[in-house]
Amino acid sequence: MLDSLKHFVRESWLLVVASVLCGLLLAATNAALGPRIEVNKALKLTSLAGGLLPAAQAFVPLSSPVEVKGLDGKTESAVVFKATAGNAVVGWVFKVVGSGFADRIELVVATDASFSRLAGYDVVSSSETPGFGDQIKDAYYRNQFAGAPVGPFSLVGLGAANERDIDSTIVAISGATISSTAVVQAMNHYLPQLKDQLQQKGLIGHGSNP
Amino acid sequence: MAATPDGQNLYAEAVATGLWREIPVFRMLLGTCPTLAVTAAIKPALTMGLCVIFVLVCSNIMVSLMRKGLRPHVRILLFTLTIATFVTIADLFLRAYQPVMSEALGPYVPLIIVNCVIIWRAEARASHSGVLLSIVDGLAMGVGFTIALCVLATIRELLGTGRLFEIQVLPKAFPAWAAMGMPVGAFLTFGFVLGFINYVSRKRS
Repeated sequence: MLDSLKHFVRESWLLVVASVLCGLLLAATNAALGPRIEVNKALKLTSLAGGLLPAAQAFVPLSSPVEVKGLDGKTESAVVFKATAGNAVVGWVFKVVGSGFADRIELVVATDASFSRLAGYDVVSSSETPGFGDQIKDAYYRNQFAGAPVGPFSLVGLGAANERDIDSTIVAISGATISSTAVVQAMNHYLPQLKDQLQQKGLIGHGSNP
Repeated sequence: MAATPDGQNLYAEAVATGLWREIPVFRMLLGTCPTLAVTAAIKPALTMGLCVIFVLVCSNIMVSLMRKGLRPHVRILLFTLTIATFVTIADLFLRAYQPVMSEALGPYVPLIIVNCVIIWRAEARASHSGVLLSIVDGLAMGVGFTIALCVLATIRELLGTGRLFEIQVLPKAFPAWAAMGMPVGAFLTFGFVLGFINYVSRKRS
């Protein structure tokens, strides 16, 4: 027993020491660069949101945290911005996460000031298959959400509804059902929670349910 | 000064090997996945090359420092751990300071972990050599790799868009060859450049 332990230590000590050193190095790098990466992400988010809410002049992050349950059931802090033009609120912008075919799909979603209709969504990051799942970035799919009531959305197959109708029925992308579902699922999961949180904080009225 | 068995300076030999004799992309045909994927324009090719130089030099230093404690069956594990660490650092750095380029390169920066050039140099050079020689070797191989990417990217960007570094170089009347920005353009350019290099090599020998 002691011999095999000695053998194990002799053979693997370098691997253990190197793992600890590499872990420390990565932790230090992440601590140093992490805040800057987060700032870059927020800049990208607001620049995409600017395309969804052209009337907005500024995107102000909410000062108090907005806690929601993620798709995995764990509580997470949502990224929410108030879109303003002068002193008026023109909409709400936030990030939602869906579970795509290849990896997580991060979306920026914008609603109107009363949180009753979507202004649309854009893709912050995704690794969906080019030509298939990544069509969630295309106008065909995105336009179905622009102006639609804030869910809940239902996904139907091609031909089951008209994709030009702006309502809660979303026509899936042919050959990319998982990616289409991921977007709809993310919207249905996060939108009611965010709306509830904003209502509780008194930031939107209670009578704006679709 | 250290010398090879045939009396050549070891450092000069490492430089000549990395830049010509065993230039990774054109002679050893290693690292061809990023070579084909990121050479549609010079900027991403150069960024990828700089990342590979950083990872090659750092992993070579670390492997060289550990070389006396390396055991055969944990050797590859240690190489991979070292390479993955420096690739992650390069990726984080790009995401922090070059977010647009990081997005343009997509998964190809994290994929440097499986770039054969790096594990090849860790095994063939750094695990048997001192730190200084490993650094020279990493630099030479990295620069050789970067030159190869830039050669292909120059041809593809010029013919595909009429531009270099996104600046218009060819007359606007030049019909841009859209295929050069696509995978077919990458394969064709790579094939022609390889053929040219082989032709020159045969002539010289």
